[in-house]
Amino acid sequence: MDQRHDQIEGNSEPSHSFGQVSHLALDIGGTLIKVVYFSTSRDDCIDHEGDSSANNTLGVSKSGKHILEGRLHFAKFETRNINDCLEFISSKKLHLGGFQRCRNLAKDKNLIKATGGGAHKFAELFREKLGIDLDKEDEMDCLVAGANFLLKAVHREAYTYVGGEKEFMQIDQNDLYPYLLVNIGSGVSMIKVDGDGKFERVSGTNVGGGTFWGLGRLLTKCKSFDELLELSYRGNNRVIDMLVGDIYGGMDYSKIGLSSTTIASSFGKAVSDYKELEDYKPEDVARSLLRMISNNIGQIAYLNALQFGLKRIFFGGFFIQGQPYTMDTISVAVHFWSKGEAKAMFLRHEGFLGALGAYVSYAKNRLDDLVCNESIQIPVSASYAADPKYNPRNADLNDNESMQCSVYTA
Amino acid sequence: MAGLKDDPVLGINDMIETREETEIKDAVIDKVREEGGQGDREMAPMGNSIHRSGSRPQLDLSKAAIQGNSEERDPTILLPNQSDDISHLALDIGGSLIKLVYFSRHEDRTINDKRKKTVKERLGISNGNRRSYPILGGRLHFVKFETRKINECLDFISSKQLHRGGIDTHGWLSEAPANCSAVIKATGGGAYKFADLFKERLGVSLDKEDEMDCLVAGANFLLKAIRHEAFTHMEGHKEFVQIDHNDLFPYLLVNIGSGVSMIKVDGDGKFERVSGTNVGGGTYWGLGRLLTKCKSFDELLELSQRGDNRTIDMLVGDIYGGMDYSKIGLSASTIASSFGKAISEKKELEDYRPEDISLSLLRMISYNIGQISYLNALRFGLKRIFFGGFFIRGHAYTMDTISFAVHFWSKGDAQAMFLRHEGFLGALGAFMSYEKHGLDDLMVHQLVERFPMGAPYTGGKIHGPPLGDLNEKISWMEKFVLKGTEITAPVPMAPPGTTGLGGFEVPSSKGGTLRSDASALNVGVLHLVPTLEVFPLLADPKMYEPNTIDLSDHNELEYWFTVLSEHLPDLVDKAVASEGGTDDAKRRGDAFARVFSAHLARLMEEPAAYGKLGLANLLELREECLREFHFVDAYRSIKQRENEASLAVLPDLLMELDSMTEETRLLTLIEGVLAANIFDWGSRACVDLYHKGTIIEIYRMSRNKMQRPWRVDDFDVFKERMLGSADKKPHPHKRALLFVDNSGADIVLGMLPLARELIRRGTEVVLVANSLPALNDATAMELPDIVAEAAKHCDILRRAAEAGGLLVDAMINTLDGSKENTSSVPLMVVENGCGSPCIDLRQVSSELAAAAKDADLIILEGMGRALHTNFNARFKCDALKLAMVKNQRLAENLIKGNIYDCVCRYEPAS
Repeated sequence: MDQRHDQIEGNSEPSHSFGQVSHLALDIGGTLIKVVYFSTSRDDCIDHEGDSSANNTLGVSKSGKHILEGRLHFAKFETRNINDCLEFISSKKLHLGGFQRCRNLAKDKNLIKATGGGAHKFAELFREKLGIDLDKEDEMDCLVAGANFLLKAVHREAYTYVGGEKEFMQIDQNDLYPYLLVNIGSGVSMIKVDGDGKFERVSGTNVGGGTFWGLGRLLTKCKSFDELLELSYRGNNRVIDMLVGDIYGGMDYSKIGLSSTTIASSFGKAVSDYKELEDYKPEDVARSLLRMISNNIGQIAYLNALQFGLKRIFFGGFFIQGQPYTMDTISVAVHFWSKGEAKAMFLRHEGFLGALGAYVSYAKNRLDDLVCNESIQIPVSASYAADPKYNPRNADLNDNESMQCSVYTA
Repeated sequence: MAGLKDDPVLGINDMIETREETEIKDAVIDKVREEGGQGDREMAPMGNSIHRSGSRPQLDLSKAAIQGNSEERDPTILLPNQSDDISHLALDIGGSLIKLVYFSRHEDRTINDKRKKTVKERLGISNGNRRSYPILGGRLHFVKFETRKINECLDFISSKQLHRGGIDTHGWLSEAPANCSAVIKATGGGAYKFADLFKERLGVSLDKEDEMDCLVAGANFLLKAIRHEAFTHMEGHKEFVQIDHNDLFPYLLVNIGSGVSMIKVDGDGKFERVSGTNVGGGTYWGLGRLLTKCKSFDELLELSQRGDNRTIDMLVGDIYGGMDYSKIGLSASTIASSFGKAISEKKELEDYRPEDISLSLLRMISYNIGQISYLNALRFGLKRIFFGGFFIRGHAYTMDTISFAVHFWSKGDAQAMFLRHEGFLGALGAFMSYEKHGLDDLMVHQLVERFPMGAPYTGGKIHGPPLGDLNEKISWMEKFVLKGTEITAPVPMAPPGTTGLGGFEVPSSKGGTLRSDASALNVGVLHLVPTLEVFPLLADPKMYEPNTIDLSDHNELEYWFTVLSEHLPDLVDKAVASEGGTDDAKRRGDAFARVFSAHLARLMEEPAAYGKLGLANLLELREECLREFHFVDAYRSIKQRENEASLAVLPDLLMELDSMTEETRLLTLIEGVLAANIFDWGSRACVDLYHKGTIIEIYRMSRNKMQRPWRVDDFDVFKERMLGSADKKPHPHKRALLFVDNSGADIVLGMLPLARELIRRGTEVVLVANSLPALNDATAMELPDIVAEAAKHCDILRRAAEAGGLLVDAMINTLDGSKENTSSVPLMVVENGCGSPCIDLRQVSSELAAAAKDADLIILEGMGRALHTNFNARFKCDALKLAMVKNQRLAENLIKGNIYDCVCRYEPAS
């Protein structure tokens, strides 16, 4: 994954690295490190802000607030390769940038917002390597803040995925809550969100992205998560899964609503065959694994949504990666168990909820009280509107992209 | 999954059983006949009473032996050939396992005994006012095979001719048209898939029953009919849960087979499959096989016992640098991501221990199932979740993990429960789908579970040949022991196998010694005994618990195991001697000792292996073991000798008593009962004493030492009830039930004189004795002879015995029209329905239940029946509990006293 961080500026301009203002937030998970940072660029200023002063990129709005124009960038690294991340930050001097510079708050310059378990675990490393302190934000707070921010501020952020068709949902900001936020990282957290900062972690499961990647690695010798995902796309789970039809001799067990292609037991066929691991195609193994995990998460999520009477379930986190098959399986699971009542929805920036939330928390803590989410306007740049769904490699919209935005500061 | 058929135990049990059935079955069948409608079942006031209880097949065994008392019968007659076997079969053919349930019973050869008839009339149970029994007595057997080895299953069925049983040979299902080809009820997906194979190989058609129907029917049956079927399992601790039939529904049934079905059950036949998951047993075994190269499911499970999932799972602590993420209630050892660590390290599959992989996998799946189950239970407001299916297999870790998940997510509101017969729900349900199986009507008290020879090894790795008869059984036992499996007596003591784990906690290292089935529960053979009933005089049958001593206290358990182990060699000597000390008897004695030691070892390892373990069960197990090896009555000659010696001095004693005042006599009688209770071959201390004098000497010494107040002394209250105060004479009791204990002085010099006194006061007396021998306890079969002998010297006893039909000659007189004996209240004998030194009053013979109808006084005598069991029992009528405590430990624990202290506990009707 880290191999792609060099494309970080791809959507904006290559010269981006010298953008004047950088602002950084981190989400250091068990598997991946997600990085969100903000940079200003003169181009952006010129393009968008007629009323921005020439005071560098720091403008003053009609309401007397400063407006910061620039881009929000997203990058990710594998946690086990944390040094790559450190180098990246260091090379871009991200840890030196930020509002602090603009506002001359030098004393704060070494504090970076971070969330995820690694914010605790790697705090020492960051201080040592970069001389910065990680200001730890609660993980759930960040996830929710990130999701709320995206759902309210970004047009066409949420979509459903059914039968290979992606359909963007227009979410009415006034009818957003409550919803269930399912964050699929290494593990899975399920959070009932009732409003800004109002939420509860109601459930979770230990069968998540880490399970997929961990088991998948053991079973297929894949070298990366993406490779495993790619494999799964070409596989056929019927080779390994025991289907209802396998048990009932091809007949449906229609009495209880199970068709013959329903998976009765994931990996169930690996029992009855005289085959060893080597005899199975890695593609098929990966596919079975993906279906097993997606299906399971979808089911548990639905059951939790049901418990709290939530009609909307948003799935986020790095497991999904905009992967069509994953999304499809989750959607089918939710649809199946809810008998069509509940819908699985996905977020384009699914992997960066935590990092975004941490980023937004600068506003909470540092910016003027008057500043709230509405004051952060992020027009979606047209550059990544193209739908890459036909290429699973590019399916994850949120990977290493940037979006243009304005930040109002006090 | 693996090695099921290799899991010989079941097979073996089973084969053993078959043979035994043949030997035993006669008895069971009475009632079948009776239902036939001619309400004149034979009842045995005398020797045959045992036989008739029909309660336990073993009864026949004893009958055989005891009638052999008259020695004119050839024992072999009592081992009828197997053609009498009536078997019936149902199958559950799943994706991984074939489960098989079959029923067997025997034709009865009832002996028409006039004496039985008399007691029946006495007790008023011959006139159709007793309920009839719509079901057959017999046995339910449980066997499993791997589906991929279906041929072994076919061979098994074929060799036992199970597919021919029932319908076409005998009249069990006589209503079925005789001309239809054999049809076997089957469920599970394989019932479709393998239908042709069964047709081809066995010529039988599989009659397919719906899988869910069967699961639910099976679970409902088990939960209603078996007392300790359900249990909870938290952190290695097993606790049996008694389910109130009336409060069973609704519940969630989670059947974990290859996949998982979750069914909301609202009643018999009322249910809905509300959910399920494709991550089940097949996933565990399938993934496990790919990842570990294990050859069997059991092997994989066993691996997990030694695993440490921390090497593979990503824990909350791994993410948070060892800190808890306590804000959301996750401890550092919580699994954040199953297999999550397999990512971040530079290790390949080969670098991980299979043990660790197996454990991670097991926890992932168990936890997941627990969670989804809970969410579904919550959705429908169900507090009880029962988990069944072959995935669980009584595996402690699996159950702990599931329990933990349910507990964790429900915050303690919902409870995960497990079923001892977890794997057999479907097969049992298919069995029940036969019309007129009669199982629906079975009540808890009509089922007795037995654990024959193979039971201690169920789940183990012992392979055995099909066992046809006793000889093969013994050979197998000998070979088995020669193979070096450690069975030693006395049994070495070890702390009970607990995992000590919360579902999420990291397993403590248990080393390589723990067997995979360390916590597995053995499934025995279910004996259906329709004639058993709940003792009607229990004040609160639901709250009744027979056992006084809680064997879940490890110290108690250890103590009793040691006692039993130490007593074993002596018992074997006695048993061998009782069979003439022949080489054959010695062989059987050795085999018995090995088997019983193995049972003890098994129970030490897992006290709950055979269900909830009470002292009564333990003592009965020993007797069952003896009978299994055809030791019909190990104390036969001792009992006889002591009876004779005691009867010789009875006239003197009666004379002495008759010379006393009423008040002195009553006290002396009670003293006599307590004194005579010292004769107990179950008590080591007393056996030692026997070497010091003659019976009468010991009796007199014992009586002379009686110093009131006794340790528990309600005599004065009892006396007032009996004799009243100066100005008020109480009315006598109408009928007294005397639960007698030992043969010899105990019965002859203790209880008989007391019975005589009651009779003299106008109270009918019913002597209640064991159906089957246990130690030197008097049996219902022996009592009539003892009474008859005593009656020779005592008019009161003679007339009462005549009135009670105990004296054959007299009875004939009665039939001749003599009215002489109507002048006495009757003295009767009934069997209690059991063959144990203790008595569980939830399961007594129907004739005892009938006799209890008019009883207003119960006297329980002896340690087994008054202290070890029933010490705390409360009755609807007056109850007197009399015993001498012949065990220091019991004396200390129960009455804070010493050995040879006495208990005279009187409790007026509550």
